[in-house]
Amino acid sequence: MTETILALQDAWLTLAGNAGRIDILKGITLSVARGESLGLVGPSGSGKSSLLMLMGGLERVTKGRVSALGQDITGLDEDGLAKFRRGRMGVVFQSFHLIPTMTALENVALPMEIAGVKDAFARAKDELDAVGLGARMQHYPAQLSGGEQQRVALARAAAPRPAILLADEPTGNLDSVNGAAIMELIFGLRDRHGATLVLVTHAPELAARCSRVVRLVDGRVDGTPA
Amino acid sequence: MSFALAACIARAELRGGLRGFWVFLACLALGVAAIAGVGMVRSAIEAGLTDQGAVLLGGDAQVEFTYRFATPEERAFLDQIATKTSEIVDFRSMVVADDVHVLTQVKAVDDNYPLLGSVQLEEGDLASALTGVVPGAVMDGILADQIGLKLGDRFKLGAQEFTLQGRILREPDSATGGFALAPRTIVKTKALAQSGLLEPGTLFDSSYRLLLPPNVDLAALQSTAEAKFRDSGLRWSDRRKAAPGVARFVDRIGAFLILVGLAGLAVGGVGVAAAVRSYLEAKIATIATLRTLGAKGGLIFQTYLIQIAVLVAFGVSLGLILGIVVPLALAKPIQSALPFPAQIALYPRPIIEAAFYGVTSAFLFALWPLARSEKVRAAALYRGGLSGGWPRARYALAMLVLAALLVGGAVLLSGTVNLALGTAGGVIAALVVLALAAWGLIRLARSSARLKALRGKVALRAALASIGAPRAETMQVVLALGLGLTVLAAVGQIDSNLRAAISRDLPTRAPAFFFVDIQPDQINGFRAKLAANPAVTKVDSAPMLRGIITQINGQDARKVAGEHWVLAGDRGVTYAAAQPANTKLTAGQWWPNNYQGPPQISFAAEEAEELGLKLGDQLTINILGRDIIASITSLRIVDFSNAGMGFVLTLDPAAVAGAPHTDIATVYVDPGADPGAEAAILREIATAYPNITAISVKAAIGRVTEALTAIAQATTIAAMATLLTGFVVLIGAAASGERARVYEAAVLKVLGASRTRILLSFALRAALMGAAAGIVAIIAGGIAGWAVMRFVMDSPYAFEPASALTIVLGGIGATLLASLIFVLRPLASRPAQVLRSQE
Ligand SMILES: Nc1ncnc2c1ncn2[C@@H]1O[C@H](COP(=O)(O)OP(=O)(O)O)[C@@H](O)[C@H]1O
Ligand SMILES: [Mg+2]
Repeated sequence: MTETILALQDAWLTLAGNAGRIDILKGITLSVARGESLGLVGPSGSGKSSLLMLMGGLERVTKGRVSALGQDITGLDEDGLAKFRRGRMGVVFQSFHLIPTMTALENVALPMEIAGVKDAFARAKDELDAVGLGARMQHYPAQLSGGEQQRVALARAAAPRPAILLADEPTGNLDSVNGAAIMELIFGLRDRHGATLVLVTHAPELAARCSRVVRLVDGRVDGTPA
Repeated sequence: MSFALAACIARAELRGGLRGFWVFLACLALGVAAIAGVGMVRSAIEAGLTDQGAVLLGGDAQVEFTYRFATPEERAFLDQIATKTSEIVDFRSMVVADDVHVLTQVKAVDDNYPLLGSVQLEEGDLASALTGVVPGAVMDGILADQIGLKLGDRFKLGAQEFTLQGRILREPDSATGGFALAPRTIVKTKALAQSGLLEPGTLFDSSYRLLLPPNVDLAALQSTAEAKFRDSGLRWSDRRKAAPGVARFVDRIGAFLILVGLAGLAVGGVGVAAAVRSYLEAKIATIATLRTLGAKGGLIFQTYLIQIAVLVAFGVSLGLILGIVVPLALAKPIQSALPFPAQIALYPRPIIEAAFYGVTSAFLFALWPLARSEKVRAAALYRGGLSGGWPRARYALAMLVLAALLVGGAVLLSGTVNLALGTAGGVIAALVVLALAAWGLIRLARSSARLKALRGKVALRAALASIGAPRAETMQVVLALGLGLTVLAAVGQIDSNLRAAISRDLPTRAPAFFFVDIQPDQINGFRAKLAANPAVTKVDSAPMLRGIITQINGQDARKVAGEHWVLAGDRGVTYAAAQPANTKLTAGQWWPNNYQGPPQISFAAEEAEELGLKLGDQLTINILGRDIIASITSLRIVDFSNAGMGFVLTLDPAAVAGAPHTDIATVYVDPGADPGAEAAILREIATAYPNITAISVKAAIGRVTEALTAIAQATTIAAMATLLTGFVVLIGAAASGERARVYEAAVLKVLGASRTRILLSFALRAALMGAAAGIVAIIAGGIAGWAVMRFVMDSPYAFEPASALTIVLGGIGATLLASLIFVLRPLASRPAQVLRSQE
């Protein structure tokens, strides 16, 4: 384990809920090395998704520091974070989050277009071929099954060749056959492109495939003092 | 039994409240309120005219003559039937003060004036204002200010000097006179004895207002008077229909505004349809569940029909309340803004009319999406989405019936068949064209989003993709905005065309002045003076009498030829010995020189054709109480369009020999002449001949334009109600799309897009839809404008780009505004929150 690619230092996340402000993450200190695959496990509501959002810059810490790829992203504003993500981070969600008004191909090409990549569409095609959807490129998300949509989402996340791939229960909405296929694709991608993977999962067998597993309990890394 | 069940389910569903229905309710309420409001004001004016009939007329009845006073015999008759009489003389003249000469409409009255009501002055009363050694006069404040006259200042009418002793606020009997070319001055008739203004042959109207004994039979009295003085040029009117012109005008404008309001209801209908559709979409789970429980399509349809019916009742009531309360609350300002009396109160007819329009149009537009609720299968629980396609035949039929009811109702209620059918056709055509345009835009957006050329232009591509997406609000936005803008564009085109027709085309060819009341012994001097003036390019003059065509070939003229403007009231009549230069005959021959035989007429060719007159027909023309029977011996081309001199009737000189008359002249001024030249001509003639009245064409055009502006304003207000409804639909569409925008923004942010780029994409999306609606509106509005100009106004049409451009830009602006209100939240929200709530 050499270079640290993601690091959180005493990261707190406090959100205003219905019953006042709640501390969701309570002082997380964690670092991820380049090339590592980290499994995030823990009971529902323990803060796994929130932690992943912090890593991806989709949420900002209330207190503490976050750095990625050697850059401190704590103080970046919304646009700064968006710009930082371009080409560097891919995110896969449990509910896919494809843009419903765009075809599979357009969805996959989109992040590369935003990043100003010249041959975005050609690369998007290759990527869709790679996830086995070469024949469904012109389909809209609503015309695809859940497993197919997640494959598109995966292609979209992986196409810009991000250094970091964040996946939040990517198989949570899928049946076991489709889920297994997605996981094969994710680990395959990681192996081929050498991306760093952070995977939130409920499934012990998936966690077991990761090089390291961190368990969250009630907003803290399990084993750290309250 | 099934109905009871449907009602039961409907009640349960409605318990959730009306939150999702504000667009539905606002659209319906706005449209209904506009129609009810216009109808209320119209009824108020009609009631005011009926109720105030006698005051407006200035008496229970009125008898009018043209260019003459009543004969002693006529006067005796009037005095005998009336309990009190008042004689009024009405004519145009020049107010002369120092070097200023301004046209005025003089009303010369006797001591009994006014028989009813009172003339309101800014200060003091009329009776004392008209007395004095130098006789007193009162005038319209605008006129006094224009001349620079203060109370106590002197001025002249003809040769007579007056002192200004009052400024008129309101005349009780002003609404019946029709359109006045100039502001009013009131003097005593006695004071005009030495003015030289009421000499034989001058153009004046006399009227005798009568107070009649109570319970007199007006109809019988009218027949008696008309029988006794048949064909003497006596015109009778009474309080039963005091101001037929105004009544007709108000009725027409009211009908027109209600039709504009109906277009607004159609815009609202788009919102209604969209609201019902999205409501049903949200209810798919419920419907599918009902299906799994074995509910038939009919039950589901009924369930939602009942809910819609409740909402329609609510929305229409809301609109009616608004349409009633607003005019009632604004009664004072409305009354003072109107030139006629209005009794603002609760009238059932406009309310029923508005309710009828509201209910039929709401169901018409709700039925389309409603009919689809039947088609939802139990499987929709897992698949989602309302199926598209056509509604079943019976619902299509019901929609046709509703549409027919709506159009038929509009025809019946507005009383203007062609205008109502034209409006209905226009609205339907516009909706179809807009739907096609929206469909085309969706197609175009979808295919161009995939264009290679657009690759890399993320904002534009995302905008196009979301316009072209299935179930986007594109259709709704283009229909509502497009129809609203079409109405506005049509009104704008008509308005600017009318203005252009008046203010641009006319003056280049029109004379600068009309001079009237030129006495026969003045005409040579008059012409000589003008000939000496280098700014004058042309002077036409002709003797002028006025006459009424009473019979055609011995039969009542109106019974033979029907209602035609030539037969309505008195017409200018001239005579000429020889055929004037530049007069073209289309048939027959001009009478020989020194012709002394039976009277002959040269008649205007176009009007003759319209009246069905041909060579050899005999006309009875009453001139100054004397009947002349003359036969048509030639037809000639008369151009009435350039405001030059045009007479329908030209007689041979011998036919009217001895009848007192004056000359009328048109004077053309070199357009390149010094700006002061017209004023100089006016001064010169007025100084030499104080009795001659000059009517400046420019000033007259100004008055016409003013009247037109008022009508255009009323129409624009009605059209704005349409646009406001359109805006509500837009806001509704934008609001219902907000969730989609929030989501889109969050995903774009995850993928690395900046807020500027996202905003740009949303703005482009709105601008493209606005532009599509605006462009269709220009085309459809242009066609509507052309149709109205061509078929209603009978006037040429030219596309007015400035007005049109404003419309498109307005359309884009409105969509931008409506949608930008709803992108603030998407832009501000953090992606984590948005995406998490969707997990
Ligand atoms: N927007 C929010 N406001 C307040 N509380 C939230 C919000 N989103 C999530 N939470 C709460 O934060 C906690 C952690 O949520 P999450 O990170 O989604 O957990 P996990 O992914 O481990 O199930 C939960 O208790 C959840 O209820
Ligand atoms: Mg989670």
